Order: sequence, then C-alpha cells, then structure tokens
Amino acid sequence: MMGRIKLAGLIAAVLVIFLPSFTSAQDFSFGVSSDEVSIYSLAPGEATEFELTIHNKAEIAHNFTIATFQPLEEERREGRAEFPDENWISFSSQEIEVPANSAANVTVTVAIPREQKWAGEDWEIWLGVDAESSDLLAVRLYVRLLVSTGGTKFNAGLVAGIVVGIVLLGCGGYYYFRRRAKPE
Amino acid sequence: MKAVITSIVVAIILALIFSLPALAQDSDAITITMTGVNDISISLDKTQWPLGNVASNTEYVTSPPIEWCTLTVEGNCNVNIFIVGEDAEWITNPAAYKWTLSNDGTNGENVYGLKFRISGDTARGYVPITKTEGEFWPYDDGSSLAPGDTKQFGLKLLTPTYFVGGRQMQTQITISAVTA
Repeated sequence: MMGRIKLAGLIAAVLVIFLPSFTSAQDFSFGVSSDEVSIYSLAPGEATEFELTIHNKAEIAHNFTIATFQPLEEERREGRAEFPDENWISFSSQEIEVPANSAANVTVTVAIPREQKWAGEDWEIWLGVDAESSDLLAVRLYVRLLVSTGGTKFNAGLVAGIVVGIVLLGCGGYYYFRRRAKPE
Repeated sequence: MKAVITSIVVAIILALIFSLPALAQDSDAITITMTGVNDISISLDKTQWPLGNVASNTEYVTSPPIEWCTLTVEGNCNVNIFIVGEDAEWITNPAAYKWTLSNDGTNGENVYGLKFRISGDTARGYVPITKTEGEFWPYDDGSSLAPGDTKQFGLKLLTPTYFVGGRQMQTQITISAVTA
C-alpha cells in the first residue's frame, strides 16, 4: 500500500496540475444594491417585484448569476422563518453580463400562492449574486430578502364563536318575540 | 313562526355586523422597503493560486502564508463573511473523477484538505474549509466587518494520500458576504 502511494506520488509530481492557472492574479470586486429588501403586506395570491442592481467594478466585462439560498436558522433575522418555497421567487434573468465599470438591473418577482395558510407570516431568504469565474477564489454577495405576508389566517375559533352567537341571539330573539306576542 | 324567522334574521344581521371586520382580509397596500443607499461589496486582491504539479500527501502553503490575499469590505454596510469549499474535479471529465474535500482539513485516498488562516487570528489558527459555509471572521462575538475593514489571509492545501496522476484538477473556494 505504501509503495503504491509513493509511486503514485512520484507520478503525480510530474503529471498532475492542480489549479492550472498561470495568468496574472487580478483584483476583482463587484457590488450589489440594495443589501436588504423588505416586503410587507404581500397577501396570498398577490405578487410584487423589485430591482437589484449589480455593479461590476472590474476593468473587464463579467457574467453574473443570481439564485436563491436558504440561510441557516442562526443567520436569519430574529422572528423570521424559512421561506417555504424558492420557486415563488423568479428573476428576469438568472445570468447577466455586465460591462466593465458598469451596472445592470435584475428584476426579482415574489409571488405567494393563493392559500390562506400563507397569510400573516414573516420569512427570510437570501438572493446570492456570483461572478462567474474559474479562479480558485470566488466572491458571492447575498441580499437579505424579508417577506411579510398580509391578510389574516382562517380563525376556526372566531367562526365557531360567530355560529354560537347566531344561535344564542336567535334563541334570545325567539323567546323575546314569543313573550311579547303572548296575551296578558 | 313569524317570530322565529324574525329572530333568526336579526341574530344573523347582528352577528355579521360584529364579526365582519374581524373576518375581513387585510387590504393594506404592499410595501417594499429597500435600503437603497446600501451597497454590499467585498474585494479580493488575489483570486488565483497557480500551484502547478503537486505530489501526494504533501502540504502546500500560500506565500506569504497568512498574508497572501487581502479581503476588503468595500460597500457601505457591515457584513458577516463566510467561506465554503467544494470537491476538486478533473477538468477533462468532472463526473468521472474527483477529490473529495474533507470536513476537517485532513486527507485520505482521493480526499484532500483545505485550511485558511487569517493574519492576527491567533485564537483559531488554521481553520478547515469545508463544503458547509463556515464563518470566515468570528463575528459571533459581535465583530462583523465594517466598510473599509481589511483582513489578510492565507491557504493551506493537503493533497490526497493517493490520487490518479496526470489529471488536471480544479476547485473553487467561495467567500461570501451578507449584511450584518
């Protein structure tokens, strides 16, 4: 076994190339605005959209990709739950080329299905923007997307209370009218 | 009979008067708040580490070891920074051969290790880079990085104890940032 490893090591030392990039290293940076987006009162069945701006600060054009990411619970804002379905978020383009020293917008659409169970919720999901690269080190910038749904949840207790109220009022009214109608 | 009908109608009307506001769905306008002036941005002054040929079961360290690359927070918001690695794939046929990234910086047959060390971080020393996003800078103690902050760091690679020779391998380490 040891002999095999040593032999492989000798062969590898000649033949294997790890991270075969011999071009000069380049400083690269990009930015995204805004860093955080909050949507309030988005009721089930409704959709809304906003724009993110990607700033390419490099001297050459770059391709950028954008996708959703579910953050770990400890990374979410306090009181925020996991966004239920990443398919509810769509992008005008998931890949965009931004010229050197320029900016480009991506439209993000958030659509909540028309189901009452999604009302009154507070969620968080991250939108990650990556600069396409084959270099060893890559940068990804996350935008926090905070979504609060509007509307009220179906309240079984309230409905039951209304039914009981109708029955009680009906009974009360019936006895009231019956007593009034009764001859002295 | 008339009394019964009248009572029921009155009861329903009264119940609806009091319950409708509670049952009605919120019809607030959708509000979108974007911290429009906030730009999140970080930069790296190096993104490549041209190692060339490597031998098995050998450790490679960037030069200088812990001040090889400088990360700068360039936006205008405080950020938490993460680091994550991935398996190294054979460039010619990624699906056919890979080196698995270990989860503790150690190596094995076709398993390699990656670590990073931040200059000045004497408490942690070299920290393994795994396939799960980990803290780059230990912000748990409330020290997220502010605009203008810089951190210098270096990398360490531990090649597998055994691998198939003659294949160009490629991997990527992603450094990510989110507003604190």
